[in-house]
Amino acid sequence: MRVVTNDGTFCGYGKGEDGQLMAMTDEEYHSACPGMTSAATKGIWSSPKSSPYPAPKGLVVLYQIGRGPFCPSVSPFPLKLETFLRFNKIPYMNIHSSRFSKKGKTPWIEYNGQAIADSQFCIDFLSRELGIDMNSHLTPVDKSISRAFQKMSEENTYWSMCYEMFAVPDKTRIAEVMPQYKGFKLWAFTTVFSRVIKKELYYQGIGRHSDEEIWTIGRADLQAISTFLGDKKFFMGDRPSQIDCAMFGMLAQVLWHMPRTRHEKFTHDRLQNIDGYCERMKELCWPDWDKLCLKHPSYQDDNYKTYHTE
Amino acid sequence: MSSQPKIVLYQIGRGPQAPSLTPFAVKLETFLRMARIPYTNQHGRKRSPKGKFPWMIYNGKIISDSQFCIDFLNQNLNIDLNSHLNPEQRAIARAFQKMAEENLYWCLVLCRWVYDNKDWLHRVVCLPKLLIWVVGRNVKSQTNGHGIGRHGYEEMLQIMETDLRAISSYLGDKQFLFGDKPCEADAAIFGQLSQFRWHMPGTKGEQLVSETFANLRAYCERMKNAFWPDWEECITDNGKRKATK
Repeated sequence: MRVVTNDGTFCGYGKGEDGQLMAMTDEEYHSACPGMTSAATKGIWSSPKSSPYPAPKGLVVLYQIGRGPFCPSVSPFPLKLETFLRFNKIPYMNIHSSRFSKKGKTPWIEYNGQAIADSQFCIDFLSRELGIDMNSHLTPVDKSISRAFQKMSEENTYWSMCYEMFAVPDKTRIAEVMPQYKGFKLWAFTTVFSRVIKKELYYQGIGRHSDEEIWTIGRADLQAISTFLGDKKFFMGDRPSQIDCAMFGMLAQVLWHMPRTRHEKFTHDRLQNIDGYCERMKELCWPDWDKLCLKHPSYQDDNYKTYHTE
Repeated sequence: MSSQPKIVLYQIGRGPQAPSLTPFAVKLETFLRMARIPYTNQHGRKRSPKGKFPWMIYNGKIISDSQFCIDFLNQNLNIDLNSHLNPEQRAIARAFQKMAEENLYWCLVLCRWVYDNKDWLHRVVCLPKLLIWVVGRNVKSQTNGHGIGRHGYEEMLQIMETDLRAISSYLGDKQFLFGDKPCEADAAIFGQLSQFRWHMPGTKGEQLVSETFANLRAYCERMKNAFWPDWEECITDNGKRKATK
């Protein structure tokens, strides 16, 4: 199928009758995939109408909720998964939509007819299918430390970040990281999402604590991450490993999508090694970073664009 | 001589084969014993203001949440069970503790209330089947919101095994997480592992902690012998007797 921006500029390939990748005209594309639109800027309000997506064999189709204003995603998990795909140069295509997996989660992937949900299960699945091991150079103890830090960041730090962004009275931060929502859509999203997050925070446990207690937890996690990272180039040493995808996904949100929060201020003021680390990951895996940030002048819609297919 | 603070630890009662059915009560009470802090227990159903167990009253002040209790005691009694750790080790300790309490813990909860242990809860802990059903539904709903409840049973077991393998791998043949001297995280991790080791009979979780990762079994015994010499007085032996402590 064909990837087009809103002005019809060609930027991708489709599958022909013989299964080979080929370019299509706009008419061919709209005939083959009616209802498909450039959805990267529309975020969760858009949804492809055809399902499942007819991808060529060997191409990962990555479903995520759309690009962010200052970072390619507003959520750590799509950024983690897409960083993994990029680091390992796995051919993939983005579909930005509100289409969730069967588990009701996003991001998720389709690969050779199989649908896999949950960013970590996606990484584990692709690692097995494609014979990839980003942790091959790590000792068993290193791998265990990686697992511990990844789970701390995804199951503890993450919730303190959700609280700071969505459960505090100041809702202006949400407007800053969701520029595509205005007026009623913004109000609806802010109201509904805040209620959902508060409920999840309460069930998870952290939501039962006071504002100061939740920040104490988040701050201690960020300090631990920074202390362990130290002056290393990547989280476990000189070579990147799988945890760098997860850690970068999480820390990128702190640096770029948590404006005027305690997390952002503490990290900028006291944890400078995190700034340097994220810049290194950005250079390594995201040379086209600016083109994938909604607020950057060079932003380009990459919905249905394929990567690493040459 | 300064007077000892009056510390009362509120918890839900003794467990069938371990001092509590909740890992956080085992954690907090183990910490009190590691730090040699005198305390008394109050077993009952009175929850903390945050709606959870355990909690404590320190000289009349209520403190909820096991970790906040520990932080409060550290600050007010000048305790630091991590004094022998360097900053990197303290960071690693925190990571392992959080993995155990915020990830592995939910596997424990799902196994206990939804998948594996419901029959044991009824037969041994003597909980009514209706209560187990109601709590199981709540747990499913809570864990769905959290995310982990959306996975299938096999996927959840995989998450559990990966976490336990990580703890086992890091522990290796050391006495405690960071060598010969235990630290604060040992109390937390022992709390979680005590449930798999003693309160999940016949389950995959018990098999992993007792057989597959044999060093975790030895670690649990070591923590038990070091800080719970009165273990037998702190359990009900499957409801056959009343715990005396």
